Amino acid sequence: RGCGPRSAGGSASCAGCASGWRPSWRGGDTAEQEEDGERERDEAACGARQPSAAEPARGDAGDAEDEDGARGLRERLAAELARGDSGDADEEDEDDDEEEEEGSLGFPAELPPLPARSALSAAEILRYSRQLVLPELGVRGQLRLARSSVLVVGCGGLGCPLAQYLAAAGVGRLGLVDHDVVETSNLQRQVLHGEARRGRPKARSAAAALRRLNSAVQYVPYRGALRPRSALRLVRQYDIVADCSDNVPTRYLVSDACVLAGKPLVSGSALRLEGQLAVYNYRGGPCYRCLFPRPPPPDTVTNCADGGVLGAVTGIIGCLQALEVLKIASGMGSSLSGYMLMFDALEGRFRNIKLRPRKADCAVCGDSPSVTCLQDYEAFCGSCATDKCRALQLLPGADRVSVQQYKALLDARVPHVLLDVRPPVEAEICRLPHALHIPLRSLQDRDQESLQRLQNRIGEEKQRTDDQTPLPVYVVCKLGNDSQKAVKILQELPAEEFGSVVAKDIKGGLMAWATKIDSTFPQY
Amino acid sequence: MGSGSGLGGGRRVSVLYFARSAELAGLRCETLSVPREITSLQLWEEIVKVHPRLALIRDQVVFAVRQEYVLLGDQLLVLQPGDEVAIIPPISGG
Repeated sequence: RGCGPRSAGGSASCAGCASGWRPSWRGGDTAEQEEDGERERDEAACGARQPSAAEPARGDAGDAEDEDGARGLRERLAAELARGDSGDADEEDEDDDEEEEEGSLGFPAELPPLPARSALSAAEILRYSRQLVLPELGVRGQLRLARSSVLVVGCGGLGCPLAQYLAAAGVGRLGLVDHDVVETSNLQRQVLHGEARRGRPKARSAAAALRRLNSAVQYVPYRGALRPRSALRLVRQYDIVADCSDNVPTRYLVSDACVLAGKPLVSGSALRLEGQLAVYNYRGGPCYRCLFPRPPPPDTVTNCADGGVLGAVTGIIGCLQALEVLKIASGMGSSLSGYMLMFDALEGRFRNIKLRPRKADCAVCGDSPSVTCLQDYEAFCGSCATDKCRALQLLPGADRVSVQQYKALLDARVPHVLLDVRPPVEAEICRLPHALHIPLRSLQDRDQESLQRLQNRIGEEKQRTDDQTPLPVYVVCKLGNDSQKAVKILQELPAEEFGSVVAKDIKGGLMAWATKIDSTFPQY
Repeated sequence: MGSGSGLGGGRRVSVLYFARSAELAGLRCETLSVPREITSLQLWEEIVKVHPRLALIRDQVVFAVRQEYVLLGDQLLVLQPGDEVAIIPPISGG
């Protein structure tokens, strides 16, 4: 999936102040036209509750979601066929069919306000009895919950447990935003989605699972990414926002939207064996930008796919998020405004870090803000609003080969060295047997032992060639990003020690190898 | 490990590295000796001297001393032995 011009939505919603964010890599007129076209289509789609057959309204879907949709459809068809074969059409299918109607509305027009309630029914009293007897909550708190709406941005590792506990507790309405479909590698932590849901949109899968848990809650699945164009309209319709997203641009987008709409933001994040929780823009406390005015350089950001994460860790943070949402919604209030609760799973320890107060010169929540409408956050952050498309372009095309080209070289027995630069833990998962494994980190550190091993292998391989042409060193990693960094390091190595070599990276890495060359090679 | 040690009245503080900073530093915690009185920026720079890669994320960290945010700047810190200094980059996964 591409991550360029199509993604820019901020400039459409506010051309004047977005121009400052306009990225240099974005095209000119072509991009604008595409964007305009997309906008018109979207606005038309959002305005109409009855989508036409030719142009189904699928919320804030741009081209990417069209692709997603196509992929989702293909996977769903496959799943449906598979189910048909086994013949076990169960309740879940009915659930899904029902949702199909609802979900296809995408981002509906204004939601009606939740009715104010003055009393609980006998059934509700029974259902919520264990929390009703808490003096801190009581009937008053429960009635407040029933009147509250919460927007859940991201139905993944954080969003699943969060939404589960909010639904169970009897929140009035849950908006569920996710542009993605359920994948096998999600199931280890995204506990609302089951095996049978693979290939289906997460927003709908989550709504179906939650409906089985508590049918009294209103679920509004939004199948599409939160975009600058529509985020404010959406956020304004909810009382509290929970950021359960998985990428930096979305975190800035959600935070800015909450500041502009005046909504409290309960923000959770998790990676590897760590989690963070904070409540922003609440009772005069700081916003996300107060703490992090400048986004991190894109290549310093690690996502769950690259860094890994343990499901129990996202579960803990998601539950803590749910707790803070429930406290705010029921009127108990959150004590986490101005604090960051950090969870260190390895140590089994929480730390509560007191944060700075609201920044008077914050660009969005400060006394004279420069950000008064939503921007182009992908441009601002220099990265995509997804945790998937992270294809870096660090090398010129001449320094890269495709997996097909590499396969041809391999088949032709061209003398070369294949250098695998993944971290040791990944090399243990799977590897190409003929590869020399030296982690990128060791190359970056110019680790002598590692460089010696490389030098030896180059020497051995050179003995098999008589000619004077430089020996090719092909560098591979998981996805083709680290391999480019490694090539740059190899290009700086002294020729007198390593001899004449030419380093190239293999585009797309071992995952491209698995999808395009060897389907038995594991994907992770 | 002590940089900045040897100054009269140096303080051994416990430095914790979280998320990306742990990757860049190559460890999760250590004890460093630093001057007892030091500005927050100087303290950061002492740490960066030991782990130069941390300079990369300077603008994107919560720098906390005794579990409290400290702006990198002229603010004078008076450190006690065993004080906890934490470098906390935001994580964005979920």
